[in-house]
Amino acid sequence: MPERALEGLTVIECNRTGSAAYASKLMADLGAEVIKVEPLNGDPDRALGPFPGNQPHPEKSGTFLYLNGNKQSVTLDITTDSGRQVLDSLLRDADAFIHDIPPAEADSLGLAYQRFRQTNSGLVWTAISSFGESGPHRDWKAYDLTTLSAGGWTWLNGWPGHPEMPPLRPFGRQSAYQAGVNAALATMGALLARLRTGRGQHVEVSAQECITAILEMTFAFWPYMNTPTARWGQRPIHPIDFFQCKDGGWIFVLCVEEHQWLRLVELMETPEWATWEIAANRFVRASNWDALRPFMEEWVSQWTTDELYRAAQEKRIPFAPASTLSQLLDSEHLKARGFFVEISYPEAGKITQPGAPFKMSETPWEIRTPAPTLGQHNEAILGERLGLSGDEIKSLNGARVA
Amino acid sequence: MPGPLEGIRVADFTWVWAGPTCTMQLAHMGAEVIRMESMRRICTLRMLPPWPDGQPGINRSGYFNQYNQGKRSIQLDISKPEGTEIAKEIVARSDVAVENFASNVIDRLGLGYEELRKVKPDLVMISMSGYGRGGPESSYVSYGPAQVPLSGMSQLTGYAGWQPMHVGMSYGDPNAGLHAAFAVLSALFFRERTGKGQYIDMSQQESTMAVLGEGFMEYEMNGAQPPRDGNRVARMAPHGVFMCAGEDRWLSIACATDDEWRALCGVMERPELADDARFRSLADRKANEDDLEAEIMSWTLTQDPLEATERLQAAGVPASPPLMNRELAEDAHLRARDFFVKREHPEVGVRQHAGIPWRMSETPCEVWRAAPVMGQDNDYVFGELLGMSIEQIADLKNRQIAY
Repeated sequence: MPERALEGLTVIECNRTGSAAYASKLMADLGAEVIKVEPLNGDPDRALGPFPGNQPHPEKSGTFLYLNGNKQSVTLDITTDSGRQVLDSLLRDADAFIHDIPPAEADSLGLAYQRFRQTNSGLVWTAISSFGESGPHRDWKAYDLTTLSAGGWTWLNGWPGHPEMPPLRPFGRQSAYQAGVNAALATMGALLARLRTGRGQHVEVSAQECITAILEMTFAFWPYMNTPTARWGQRPIHPIDFFQCKDGGWIFVLCVEEHQWLRLVELMETPEWATWEIAANRFVRASNWDALRPFMEEWVSQWTTDELYRAAQEKRIPFAPASTLSQLLDSEHLKARGFFVEISYPEAGKITQPGAPFKMSETPWEIRTPAPTLGQHNEAILGERLGLSGDEIKSLNGARVA
Repeated sequence: MPGPLEGIRVADFTWVWAGPTCTMQLAHMGAEVIRMESMRRICTLRMLPPWPDGQPGINRSGYFNQYNQGKRSIQLDISKPEGTEIAKEIVARSDVAVENFASNVIDRLGLGYEELRKVKPDLVMISMSGYGRGGPESSYVSYGPAQVPLSGMSQLTGYAGWQPMHVGMSYGDPNAGLHAAFAVLSALFFRERTGKGQYIDMSQQESTMAVLGEGFMEYEMNGAQPPRDGNRVARMAPHGVFMCAGEDRWLSIACATDDEWRALCGVMERPELADDARFRSLADRKANEDDLEAEIMSWTLTQDPLEATERLQAAGVPASPPLMNRELAEDAHLRARDFFVKREHPEVGVRQHAGIPWRMSETPCEVWRAAPVMGQDNDYVFGELLGMSIEQIADLKNRQIAY
């Protein structure tokens, strides 16, 4: 009987953008066996950093280490025939293949699902790309910033009232994370269907669409009201804004429901401005926010961030601080929940990093092994698993295939 | 052909944006999702714009209709004991239960996991609260917009030297919803193999931090909060959004390699820039990024972003305008891919909605119906599913249990 949710599943991963790596991380952390097939010079994320002391080192890239715990690494040059044959052998016994190699390049490498379904009809083949595998922009090149722009997110982010400031990226490769979580989700859907049908299938994920699908209410403002969106989206209700507290920290002031606003007015000791008609409800406050904002600003500036956060939450008003990373790492709440995990990396040392995105009562989330070093599992996978002899592995190595 | 979750039923207690995003993924895959709603506590999204012609109405919100596509809706006041019992009957006939109230609210309603597993022993249930169960802040209230600052994302996002920023949408919500859907499917996969259900405790704060990994890694490696740096990143240059000709027109360009940079210089008709000592290598371009961006903007200011994108892409330079909603709705590529969904809705007619960002070859996923009007499936659920008579349903309505 399996103990982990995804125990017994084998996933082969080829990562270029972080999306395939995040998809397979989600599965690996729930117990799936994940074999990373890396080019001879490594997954590109090994060169991305951040690095300790800003000194690049293939075994110290923070992005790579974070995304690749629990995985095994095999180096393989899949642009050569012998390299592709080894990949074919790995796919023959796998449950899922997750890759984010751009469609044209995947075609030229012979990475076509149709070819593999004959040798492994149960294989779930998940192909992630920036723009999907069809349509006029299929072969457009993209990095996270341009994918977020094409998906509609960048347009929403920026500072209202400063038309000279550009649309802005959110922190982190969010198009990769979103394509990754969608790919993991769709892969699991296909694996569940396989329990019923006995057959695998081809799953295609477009990173652009993953972003367009989550634009809150801003997309709908066009088909519903012919209203184009503005920087910082539509904020049809107020207050929803940042203010600086007297200790220099920032608090996010938010009332979604009217009863929350009424309790905020109480907390503010019912100032006159809060009783004006232009503050009467959440929609009216939104239209008049420029006039109301200075009053709120002055009130907030009398508090420290933490005092105001606790006082608001005491009254069940959904304020939140703009947390720094050190505040999060020191948070008593997150400590009590055991969120962060400490991992010892062979080259980068001990690092405390984000842990489980959710906790399951019967099956663990855990980092059993740190991210692999480049080619760490070549012998175990190529020799023990695929049955290649020492000489054959050597000849792959000698030919610079693995 | 049926979807991958054909035969799976979901008891949907969710509201606002995070929970409905989770259950919509399940609906996309063919699960039957039954939203339990009530006039006593109308879903926040039903009360928010956009509304056609600006006229509010609980069935008219584009925000609600976007994230509840393909679900069923019944009216059930679960704060009343009889309503609670009916909810349990629905759960007894379901595989999955999803809720995103503040932590412990579902227990107070008598619909916590311990109660629900009595009626459905192999139930998969997920709670998606703002702060998770346990810990000193577990009872705090939270909404998606506040998760952006709470998780650390705001302190990491913004123009150099400016204050922490929002990211333009309530990112904590959809990100939690997608992770939750993945968790549910993983638990279903375990159930199929072992017969065991389970309970999943999700903290939206934690699922948001899970997508900020590189920030935490940098802090741990170098002991300092990564500074806000606009659109710039460490290992690409140029990497920015540049002002174009016209009002509020922009173009994002990202070059990781010298080849991409050289190609950009070609499109700009400034081949000499590629060999300029300030810009020759990535290190050079990072060291002189202000100059680099000024040179590029002197070109983009004369350009239409869509036309420039075509030429840049033809030359192999990653570029795209930051598209706004109208441009997305009209985007030739998204249309050619049939991404948008248009289904007849009883009160708003046919409207364009964002669709499903993945395609499956053997078990196609689709939106079979527009988002439900409040209580649209009362008769189906109370009658067909629970076997009540017309009189019994009318009685529930009269006594405002089905309300």
